[in-house]
Amino acid sequence: MRSIIFCKRTIKELLRDPLSYIFCLGFPIVMLIIMSVVNNSIPAEAHMDIFQIQNLAPGIAVFGLTFVMLFACLQVSKDRTTAFLTRLYASPMRPVDFIAGYTLPLLIIAVLQAVINFVTSFVIGLISGYTFQLFHVLLCLVALLPTALLFIAFGLFAGSLLNDKAAPGICSLLITAACILGGIWMDVDSIGGILKTVCQVLPFYHGVQAARMAMQGEYSQLGKPFFIILIYALVIYTFAVLAFQKKMRSDLK
Amino acid sequence: MSEYALEVRALKKTFGSKVAVGGVSLTVEKGILFSLLGVNGAGKTTMIRMLNGLSKPTEGQAFVMGHSVAQELSQIKQLSNISPQETAVAPNLSVWENLEFMADIYGMNREKSRKRVQEVLDQFALHEVEQQRAGTLSGGWQRRLSIAMALITNPEILYLDEPTLGLDVLARKELWRTIEDLKGKITIVLTTHYMEEAERLSDQVAVMVAGEIKACGTVHELYTITGKKTLEDAFVAIAEGEVSI
Ligand SMILES: Nc1ncnc2c1ncn2[C@@H]1O[C@H](COP(=O)(O)OP(=O)(O)OP(=O)(O)O)[C@@H](O)[C@H]1O
Ligand SMILES: [Mg+2]
Repeated sequence: MRSIIFCKRTIKELLRDPLSYIFCLGFPIVMLIIMSVVNNSIPAEAHMDIFQIQNLAPGIAVFGLTFVMLFACLQVSKDRTTAFLTRLYASPMRPVDFIAGYTLPLLIIAVLQAVINFVTSFVIGLISGYTFQLFHVLLCLVALLPTALLFIAFGLFAGSLLNDKAAPGICSLLITAACILGGIWMDVDSIGGILKTVCQVLPFYHGVQAARMAMQGEYSQLGKPFFIILIYALVIYTFAVLAFQKKMRSDLK
Repeated sequence: MSEYALEVRALKKTFGSKVAVGGVSLTVEKGILFSLLGVNGAGKTTMIRMLNGLSKPTEGQAFVMGHSVAQELSQIKQLSNISPQETAVAPNLSVWENLEFMADIYGMNREKSRKRVQEVLDQFALHEVEQQRAGTLSGGWQRRLSIAMALITNPEILYLDEPTLGLDVLARKELWRTIEDLKGKITIVLTTHYMEEAERLSDQVAVMVAGEIKACGTVHELYTITGKKTLEDAFVAIAEGEVSI
């Protein structure tokens, strides 16, 4: 029950911050539109298909989730620096209430963001002559959940361990890494070599792959990246929870 | 049930080699207002933090309403509340939402929490700003809200760490009246640097110097011990070690 109450307040905090709208909603949509325009000027012979709307939409969805990480991190580090958290530490709130109270609202924002992204993509698809299938879109939403959890975990991690000055810096590093090494802005598969190996070791590429395969209804190729990203997400989330609890205990020394 | 609200035995807190609280023992009876006085850095906030589970004692024991701080913190948390030295409000929530949030976190049902919000809004004259976001209130108003948030949960023991810091004269007098209304009903632990405040409100006063309690008693007992006529003079005498007790 306390986690629900804390969820409600986190949602309010997030939704009342104008930056949420700019970064979590505005920015991905702008990128979606810009990249679609860019895609229009790429000649067909170039065989650049990552900016085609059916690939772009899932890519941007993952891009958007990186900002959810930034918000997770800012919210936690901001709360930690104010006496408000002192007051909550003195209240009957348990560590699990805090963790659920941060995670659930961010997951909701992540899903909302993806839905808005797909609606926009649908409109762009109508213009450029591509029709999304509702079932694939829904499947893609599910395929994005582990990636959302992964980024929330990174955010909790950074927010627990760093102060509100250092945390955003680390997050932007992760955002850049995720975009490049996740293959959102470039075709990792056709580059190959060491770069591809690096991408495959990190989780981001698998998250993007899972989302793209789901969106294209490639069921046979969806399973592998989905499970890889799921395992990554669960492991890193576990670490994030441990880090938060450890930090809470040391704050209470 | 213990007859004391607080029972503290040889409670000690060190940070590295720094002794913040050095083996304090004291008892506080239920229903009284107990003031903890002391110069900056004397260890008042650290004492309060330990009694609320915000800081782990290095040594010693403490019992709040008969519950051990070391073993029964969850019971203690449910029946106590604190207005921290620094104002503690959620900036993006309205005054109303902040109050309701606190009531809910302490497990009040919807109906009861609404009722309590109204009562506390009345008590702290916060009605005119009830829909305003807490972060946009002036410092003094935030302070009032912060205190109201401690009171809304109907604590049996309430800690007020420098509550009147930053309040204007009227708000301070108003808070004094609110505190006086609470006297006898709940136990209050107050820290303050305003001697007239302590003089007016306290049933019992303890003077902390460098982590230790140098004197403890009613205001009049402190006059007698020090041979002074005001709490301020008595405090100075004790804090500067003029009188040894
Ligand atoms: N987390 C901490 N780490 C190291 N030292 C600390 C910590 N918290 C408190 N101290 C030290 O403990 C001592 C007592 O601090 P405390 O905050 O309890 O004083 P105080 O009586 O509340 O003072 P003030 O009137 O200024 O609020 C100080 O010397 C302070 O520097
Ligand atoms: Mg203090």
